[in-house]
Amino acid sequence: MFSYQKTLQYPVKIANPNPRLASVIISQYGGPDGELGASMRYLSQRYAMPYPEVSALLTDIGTEELGHLEIVAAVVHQLTRKLKAEEIEQSPLAAYFVDHTTGIYPTAASGFPWSAAGMQSTGDPLADLTEDLAAEQKARITYDNILRLSDDPDVNDVIRFLREREIVHFQRFGEAVELVKSRLNQKNVYLINPAFDSKA
Amino acid sequence: MAVTNGTQNCPDSCGTMPGCAPLAVPYVPFQQTEPKRYERMEALSEGTLFPGLNLPFHLMKNGREVARTPRTELQALAFIIQELGLYLDTHPTDAEAFALYQSYAALLEQGHKTFLEQIGPLEQTDSALDGSYTWVCSPWPWQNPQKEG
Repeated sequence: MFSYQKTLQYPVKIANPNPRLASVIISQYGGPDGELGASMRYLSQRYAMPYPEVSALLTDIGTEELGHLEIVAAVVHQLTRKLKAEEIEQSPLAAYFVDHTTGIYPTAASGFPWSAAGMQSTGDPLADLTEDLAAEQKARITYDNILRLSDDPDVNDVIRFLREREIVHFQRFGEAVELVKSRLNQKNVYLINPAFDSKA
Repeated sequence: MAVTNGTQNCPDSCGTMPGCAPLAVPYVPFQQTEPKRYERMEALSEGTLFPGLNLPFHLMKNGREVARTPRTELQALAFIIQELGLYLDTHPTDAEAFALYQSYAALLEQGHKTFLEQIGPLEQTDSALDGSYTWVCSPWPWQNPQKEG
């Protein structure tokens, strides 16, 4: 089960509203490499994982990603507080605003709504962990690109934190690959899918 | 199973790949045991406990120091536990890291009590110790208190 703690993982205090920045940062809420997809990916993949340390890792990183989802929402929420309709009209947030006002909705910056098509759960430990390594890289570069587009120090401080977490997660998933490989046939790690072909 | 990959006394950021690793499968070296660590508030500011994993982007090299408040004290402790937990998931036999995890878990338990006294309930059931159902009164964490009143 999950329970809620009434605090963010990292503090978010944005002094100045900025609809343009909000319209790009929402992509890490509901975009193809965003935090919603990350948490759904890892929390879904763990059921097929036959190795307990790797199930623990998928559970713990998947849970951390839910906390990141909340941080990204807090950034967008604070960037859109007390905006006037005229300020939004002149910004790229107008297309989002017409459907969602300043509510939080999981969508990519392009307007494409969150889709499970952006993630996989293959039921194969090596395929899933390779997907997870790629997912952490894709999330990292999205944060790099947000840093290119933003000169707000309050925003960048938070984005920098989230970006660094992607690097730590990449390292842990890489270690998980080694833990999986150590249980497989040492001459051919692809001989079987240990989640399906064997109860070992 | 023992996690004994890699050798000791090897720097985090350089070195040579093994010449005889299996082909056609990803390889990321294990983080070695007893890695260098930041102190807790610096770890929260940097986004990792481990200097060896801190690889910043050129546009944002220097993190800002997180201000020390009752809330960030708790966030820093919770962050260390989270970070050590991920490390222990893949290094479950590292006794030194586990001892550190135990000492931070004790600090976090104390920090949770301090949070309740100084800020309000962290978890819904904290309200039971708070005299009334304060869960609905204390601010939500996504609000910026200066901006939303």
